[in-house]
Amino acid sequence: MSASRQWRSLAELENDPAFIEHAIQEFPSLREALAAPQKRRRVLRLLAAALATGGLAGCYAGEPGGHLIPAVRNPPNIIPGLPNRYATAHVLGGHALGTVVTHQMGRPIKVEGNPYHPSSLGATDPYAQAEVLGFYDPDRAMLISNNGTAASRQALLAALVSAQGVIAATSGAGFRILTGATSSPTTERLMARILAAYPEARWHVWEPVNRDNAMRGTALAYGKPMDVVARLDAADIILGLDSDLLGGAPGWVRYARDFASRRNPTRTKTMSRIYAAEPSPTLLGSIADHRFVAGPAEMAAAVTALAGAVLHGTSTEAPRWVGPVAADLKAHHGRAFIHAGPGQPAETHALVAAMNEALGGRGATYDVIDPLLAPAASLDALIADMQAGHVSTLLMIDTNPVFTALGTHDFAAALRAVKFSVALAKAPDETAALATWTVPMAHDWETWGDARGHDGTATIMQPMALPLYDGMSAAEIITRFIGETPGTDLATVQDTWRDQFGTSFDTAWRQALVDGVVAGTASTPSDVALSGSAGAITPPAPPAGLRLLFRPDPRLHDGRYANNPWLQELPEPLTKLTWDNPLLISPDLARRIKLRAGDKVNLRTSAGAITMAVWVQPGQAPDVMLAWVGNGRHVTGAVGTDIGWDVYPLTGGDGSATIEKAKGSVELASTDHHNLLDYGTATVDTIVRHASLDEFAKNPRFAKEAPTPELYWRKPPGPVAWAMSVDLNSCIGCNACVIACQAENNVPTVGKEEVLREREMHWLRIDRYYEGTPEAPDSFFQPMLCMHCEKAPCELVCPVGATVHDSEGLNVMVYNRCVGTRFCSNNCPYKVRRFNFFDFAGEDNRPAVSWNPDVSVRARGVMEKCSYCLQRISEARITADKENRRVHPQEVVTACQAACPTQAFTFGDVAQPASDVAKRKASPLDYALLEDQHTHPRTTYEALVRNPNPAIKEALG
Amino acid sequence: MSGAEDAFLAGTARPRNDDPVLLPGLTLGSLTDRIAALALRERAFFWWWVAVLPCASLTLVLFGSIIWLFYKGIGIWGVDWPVDWGFAIIEYVWWIAIASGGTFISALFFLMRVDWRTSTNRIAESMTLFAAACAGLFPILHLGRPWLFYWLFPYPNTMGYWPQWRSPLLWDFWAILTYVSASLLFWYLGLIPDMATLRDRAPRRGKQVLYGVMAMGFRGTSRQWRHWHATYGVLAAIMAALVCSVHSIVGLDFAGGATIGWHATQFPPLFIFGAFLSGFAMVIILLIPLRRLLRLEPMITGRHLDVLCRLLAVSSLALTYSYMMDAFTSWYGADAAERTMFAARATGMYWYAYWATIVFNVSLPQLMWFRRLRMNQIVVLLICTGVIIGMWFERYEIVVTSLHRTHLPSAWGNFHGTYWDLATLVGSVGFFFFGMLMIVRFIPVISMSEMRSLVQRQNS
Amino acid sequence: MAAVFKPQANIAAKLTLLCLAALVLGGIGWWWGYPRTNYRRQEFWTVQQPVPFSHEHHVNGLGIDCRFCHTSVATSSSAGLPPTYTCMTCHSQIWTNAAILAPVRDSLANDTPIHWHRVYDLPDYVFFNHSIHIAKGIGCASCHGEVNHMPLTYKAVSLEMTFCIDCHQNPGPRMRPRSEIYNMDWARDAMTPSPKALMAEYNVRAGGRLLDCSTCHR
Repeated sequence: MSASRQWRSLAELENDPAFIEHAIQEFPSLREALAAPQKRRRVLRLLAAALATGGLAGCYAGEPGGHLIPAVRNPPNIIPGLPNRYATAHVLGGHALGTVVTHQMGRPIKVEGNPYHPSSLGATDPYAQAEVLGFYDPDRAMLISNNGTAASRQALLAALVSAQGVIAATSGAGFRILTGATSSPTTERLMARILAAYPEARWHVWEPVNRDNAMRGTALAYGKPMDVVARLDAADIILGLDSDLLGGAPGWVRYARDFASRRNPTRTKTMSRIYAAEPSPTLLGSIADHRFVAGPAEMAAAVTALAGAVLHGTSTEAPRWVGPVAADLKAHHGRAFIHAGPGQPAETHALVAAMNEALGGRGATYDVIDPLLAPAASLDALIADMQAGHVSTLLMIDTNPVFTALGTHDFAAALRAVKFSVALAKAPDETAALATWTVPMAHDWETWGDARGHDGTATIMQPMALPLYDGMSAAEIITRFIGETPGTDLATVQDTWRDQFGTSFDTAWRQALVDGVVAGTASTPSDVALSGSAGAITPPAPPAGLRLLFRPDPRLHDGRYANNPWLQELPEPLTKLTWDNPLLISPDLARRIKLRAGDKVNLRTSAGAITMAVWVQPGQAPDVMLAWVGNGRHVTGAVGTDIGWDVYPLTGGDGSATIEKAKGSVELASTDHHNLLDYGTATVDTIVRHASLDEFAKNPRFAKEAPTPELYWRKPPGPVAWAMSVDLNSCIGCNACVIACQAENNVPTVGKEEVLREREMHWLRIDRYYEGTPEAPDSFFQPMLCMHCEKAPCELVCPVGATVHDSEGLNVMVYNRCVGTRFCSNNCPYKVRRFNFFDFAGEDNRPAVSWNPDVSVRARGVMEKCSYCLQRISEARITADKENRRVHPQEVVTACQAACPTQAFTFGDVAQPASDVAKRKASPLDYALLEDQHTHPRTTYEALVRNPNPAIKEALG
Repeated sequence: MSGAEDAFLAGTARPRNDDPVLLPGLTLGSLTDRIAALALRERAFFWWWVAVLPCASLTLVLFGSIIWLFYKGIGIWGVDWPVDWGFAIIEYVWWIAIASGGTFISALFFLMRVDWRTSTNRIAESMTLFAAACAGLFPILHLGRPWLFYWLFPYPNTMGYWPQWRSPLLWDFWAILTYVSASLLFWYLGLIPDMATLRDRAPRRGKQVLYGVMAMGFRGTSRQWRHWHATYGVLAAIMAALVCSVHSIVGLDFAGGATIGWHATQFPPLFIFGAFLSGFAMVIILLIPLRRLLRLEPMITGRHLDVLCRLLAVSSLALTYSYMMDAFTSWYGADAAERTMFAARATGMYWYAYWATIVFNVSLPQLMWFRRLRMNQIVVLLICTGVIIGMWFERYEIVVTSLHRTHLPSAWGNFHGTYWDLATLVGSVGFFFFGMLMIVRFIPVISMSEMRSLVQRQNS
Repeated sequence: MAAVFKPQANIAAKLTLLCLAALVLGGIGWWWGYPRTNYRRQEFWTVQQPVPFSHEHHVNGLGIDCRFCHTSVATSSSAGLPPTYTCMTCHSQIWTNAAILAPVRDSLANDTPIHWHRVYDLPDYVFFNHSIHIAKGIGCASCHGEVNHMPLTYKAVSLEMTFCIDCHQNPGPRMRPRSEIYNMDWARDAMTPSPKALMAEYNVRAGGRLLDCSTCHR
């Protein structure tokens, strides 16, 4: 029995008064510490450590330390050592991503995608993966507070009752509700009821990262707002206009899968072709076959020209690439798709809709469905009412307008004018700090709920654990405002679905929980017709000069994840930045005003001005500056407060901005330390081998190297040979695998200071390389993890044999044998080993119960690295062994492989010809990195093939 | 004394190879008196106190930083990813090379029956002892979990697990262990007859007993002398072999890895040459002030310095050859990463380390070819100090710049030493000189027994 | 001048040297020996428990099967410890007033778990799985000793790495027919299949996989 099991029992007991009582007997000093709820978990965490070292009973040689603490009554279906898995969903901006959460001894420790969910198909995004840490976040512990002073639940309920009385009396006049965007049928039902009860009340929605432009655009095109669902697997030609199709757009995880299914020439009949035009690099642009740099002005011109060519057949000069692209699109009638990002004006979206219709893709490459997000009034309207003093009671549910409202609005001031405001918040934030009442909100994993995926498919979300800090659910507080005594959240959600499930409610309900999706709830494609005038629209030409664009932080979204250390330390796909959100400027601009990465600038827009650092982003349009909103939180947990810069105050202007060099500069923690485009005598195509489709047709084995003679004998692989193949055609650098690996393998975070000292711990990193000019480089992604070399240089140099080979070809790292000479890391040509320079795991800001009990938590002074998810292999092997059979080819799925939206990773037993990995390694594209080192890595890559359009080359000259 | 003799004392007269190594007129008695008196002084020289205080405090700094290191972890140093080795390894190689100098002089030249070696070997050996002690510290400090260092030792443990013999670090572990213990023995054996002399001359009972115990009952019977000579000769032979083996193996610590910049067959000789150079340099650094302060000019004459300086110049040439080979192989090897690394080494952000190496270890010692400079002890002192610094930079350049550019540009990184790195470095220097000062105070700085035989030979 | 030392000094010197040698050897001996002491290994040390539970009585006396309390031993990595509820299935009927059972009754009454003291404790970096050992014909007694003769439970084996390795090197002799796994007093007899036969039957290959570090360490 290991201490991790004790932590489990602790997890069960932490709300058990008797246990606490016992603890206090052991450590009398704990009494007042435990009395303060916000200290409670930290203390319990210490207790866990104490237990682990046999602390409670005290322990000396000659007597085994520690306690075994069985439950009084065993909880049902929980067997120590065996995981349970429950389906739920991760909701972001109202859209659901189906997930399956793995539990150990009743505590959630890992998130996987739900294969049955159309938005997931088994994959996840980084946010869903990181939710584990979000759930256990110690800073989530909040008190009910009234004007900043702690208050009792009774006091709150009394206040709510009196408030409800007033509202009822005035039929809701002056009563406003503000929430985030939602697609939850239950929430909609409750809102409908409360608005029915109080005709004068209003429901407003604020989502800082929204798609309002797209909505207005489709409204222009179809007469009413519509959602567009893409089917990229059916698209031969994809054109992205500043598009977030592969990162951000609702359903992007699914889109990534569909996109990847058409990108590897050895597996797809006809390879798709991707065009991207954008002011600043996106993931789609980074993997596109052709990427065109286009600032707002060029973009507007390009869209007009494109529309002309596609809709009216007019030929066009500028920009030069539009001609051939339009031709290519038209040549693939019914198999082409154009997508515009949320940053584009409504008119552009309308034109794109018109063009897609003209290209005949509807029903094939995309569908149009009714909007998923519940319609509600806007934040502007609310603020106007508040300033006018029309708002006496304001209920804010899981929204943070004080931080996220446009810089042109002063929500804080307006909020102060509201007599009675209630903020239901999952964690301390800027809005809760100003509200009359702050109420801790139950985490999605602590209550019942429902939400809909990008195509409308509904998921019923079941609780993963009892509330850690007695939070209140949205359903409950809304019900209380209606003036009823709330039932259980379970009942509330069931009521929503009762009539839909009809007679066989129980079976249908159970099935929905098991599958994680409600069958047949996907929206039916609408047959709304394009309005005739749509094609005549022209996007407004933005004024010339410097433009400041805003994008959600690739790691923190709108800022809600700022307190999650995994996401804070996640290297942003292109800049590899962690813990910061500098202003991205173009190389050209940097040259003009002599700026280097880290230099501070004064940035000023009509909305406001701040001083922040800059980062030079290759491939960004000369006159474009790009700022990530979300970082620079003022009020949140210990991790995310005052990290980076808050750029919301600049938002809301007309997009024009001025920049001037300021004094000083800051160090920015990028995990990428080399000069962006100078790799010495090494060249990218020796590392990320790539070719065009034509070159591939001429020589499919272009990535292969002629084997060079070796001096030493190579041990032949055993009967079982674990191996991995990484398809560079699929990798879009989205980082889902990085967090998945971190969650599965107890990889600690180190903090900005240590990242600056080049000590980040990620077992799996995604290398990004550039080729060409800083103005318009080609970019390449390459996931980099332990290669499990058959002739591993690391093993040779370890004096204590702490890293050795096992009989199935794994290069295993035996932490408890390591003395920390670090020679193995020096000797690793791929530099995939990580070292615990300090007690990183011990200093990690997370409760002991949140670690994965099947993986050792590494101590200080120990080397660590990717183990091919050894714990998963062991689990599968033991199961197979018990059944006296071989491990099935696809039985073991590594964390990165499971999470990957594009199935870039394949893992398995290469000794079995039937296994996917064996098949992929047979691909002509298969190559080993640094083959000349004769390490014979078990991890190999499939070379990258791109599908450029010859006509473009001619057009651009 | 005549002007010629003054010049001879000052070491400014041109020494010829047939010069006597010692000032004529030294008798057995006078010689023993002079040296023994130094060790038996009741009160230390004033300058000794002036020197010992800073050294002692630096020694405290060393142990302070070691305690903090064990408490906090290896992270207090500048080591990072991908530069996983840093100051600890640099200092280890640096000190072990310095240590070698003593062994060369005392063992190698003893076997060759070189007269002039006799009056310098005690200082040289003591230097070896403390330099090796400093060196021995660092491999352990360097570990992530130093308290488990004994896992490198093959003992029957309850894990039924043994060390991994293919690792150069394990060879290194044994090489150091042997070298340090052998040096200690060699040093002590040479000491025994002198201890006997001091015992017989000590004025007070306390010192008599102290030196008596250390003399281990040596009374100078012909039998004892016979045994002593035999043992000393054997040990000298062993030491001469050891000093080469230890540096080859230190070289293999690097060459044994597949790491670019390290994986070169010439490393073992390169490290031996380096050891020659820094060893001789440190001996000179110690000799020049000591012969002045302790009035030893008659025994450590200009001839000694002259020879040592020429040896310095020669070993510098040998090293120069290695540097050229280093540059040549990384170009001739045609390995892209190797070339990139070398370019970065010579022109990158650590260019100063590389060029410091060239200037201090290649150019500077060449001045020794000029007699006039060779005869100017201030110049010699400066040059030798330069060499010691240069040798430190050589290790910095080998360890850091080789690691900071690897095969994959994505894994390129930098290295920045911290204050704790510096504290450990200067601390070890303080510790070394502290030890030397203790020797100077309580141990005959010149082997009286061997000198006597030399004097006899010269006077007869 | 007078000799500094008297003749006895030689003896003293020799003795001192001998003592030094003895000290060094002794130190090495301690270094080697201490980890192998039962004190250090906590072997054969009965551990005081809140309730003096006797395996001897329950297994031999009453013939209760291991799995009655350690329910998950055949299915999971952890054998599982019985909840208070299990104890009370019987003790709500018999010995209902026994003083020594008071802690059990209190536990159920006040819903407070019993804090048993550990007897077996593997380090966190060792990942032992009960079920696979059961499946491959390793009897409980092989590691837990003849629990049925333990009035108070103690650790019956050293649980050092060598203990595990010995068996993993050559499991055959320690394997038994699956039917006998929970039989504490079982011993090989003429009828027992040979180690070879058992290994073949349960498809266990000595060495190789069994000796990989990754088998127990993750």
